Amino acid sequence: MEIDITGARILYTFPIDVPFLGKFQLTETILISWLVMLIITGFCIWLTHDLKVENISKRQALAELIVEKANSFVVGNMGEKFRYMIPFVSALFATSVVSNLISLVGLRSPTADLSTEAAWAVVVFIMITAQKIKSSGFGGYLKGFTTPIPIMTPFNVLSELATPISMACRHFGNILSGVVINGLIYAALAVASSALFGLLPGVVGDVLSQIPFLDVGIPAILSVYFDWFSGIMQAFIFCMLTVMYIANAAEG
Amino acid sequence: MQVQELVSLVPWTFIATICNLFIQMYLIKRFLFKPINAMLEKRKAMADAQISDAEKAKNEALAMKDEYEKDMADAKNKASEILSSAQKTASDQSERMLQEAAAQAAALKAKAESDIAQEKRKAVNEAKNEIGGMAMEIAGKVIEREINEEDHKKLIDDFIANVGEAS
Repeated sequence: MEIDITGARILYTFPIDVPFLGKFQLTETILISWLVMLIITGFCIWLTHDLKVENISKRQALAELIVEKANSFVVGNMGEKFRYMIPFVSALFATSVVSNLISLVGLRSPTADLSTEAAWAVVVFIMITAQKIKSSGFGGYLKGFTTPIPIMTPFNVLSELATPISMACRHFGNILSGVVINGLIYAALAVASSALFGLLPGVVGDVLSQIPFLDVGIPAILSVYFDWFSGIMQAFIFCMLTVMYIANAAEG
Repeated sequence: MQVQELVSLVPWTFIATICNLFIQMYLIKRFLFKPINAMLEKRKAMADAQISDAEKAKNEALAMKDEYEKDMADAKNKASEILSSAQKTASDQSERMLQEAAAQAAALKAKAESDIAQEKRKAVNEAKNEIGGMAMEIAGKVIEREINEEDHKKLIDDFIANVGEAS
């Protein structure tokens, strides 16, 4: 039995070749990230239709809870002056969580593609750098690399670059591990199921061994960790690191 | 079907993801934070208005209470004033009545005394005349002669005067 775990499928390749970027490929990642955006936006619209000042519904209470949690998460970790970061951090968290959990319905998570996390990490890295330059000036920012002694400069540059790489790879690695483990488990359980029911005599055994009964239910237990826990945890960690790095950068 | 490498960086996906992230940020801001924050703001304004209304009502109630207390104190003062003036009037009146009664009694007494004195004088005069007449008659009968009228009268008067003094 062969198992093939690959990257996202390429659904369509546009024939126009752009320099440096290559041909535009409509991949599963892009398509499903659009679906994720639709889900999040639809959820937001559903949450906030028919808002009332008094005598609120459970739906509105949930919406207010989400908004207040987002506010307290950002303001509590970054301070009052970073209030404008609330929508960005919320969008990051929501996109990450929904992308991770969409694998539960059998679709391929956009976060199982390194390009996605790399894009987020680069955006966060630019924000961190902008914040550092804003707080200590461009000269101060460059001078920061030579502390505590000039010989440390290469290591400081390296550690600076390690920030986005580690953020992207941590998230990607966790989700990819879920994809790989799930693929292995499904395949292994299919083999085990076929072997188990193959023990039955005659035609009954031949027919039943073709149906992977063990694939029903058992992978769901593993998905509690690999999809639910890991998915929500990684989204939270990514946002927490974003918030912490930017707040630290602002302190100089 | 073509597939990507398992671990690969695709420039177009990278760019698309950055765009998607910012579009998502706008959409969340527009469809979640804006309406909810507006609603929270409205609720806060309403709560503030209610609190200020309550404060106003409380102040009004306090003012009314003050006024009421003042009115009560005024009424109490007035009542005690009326009471004391009534008491004073009553005592004045009763005193005056007593005085009047005493004066009336005194006048009655004086009148009675003067009546008595007059009666007494009248009785004495009558008695004097009677006694005088009787004495003259008796004396006339006793001595059977007519004594000098003038002398006689004088004698009797003296006698009666002596009697009056003695009585």
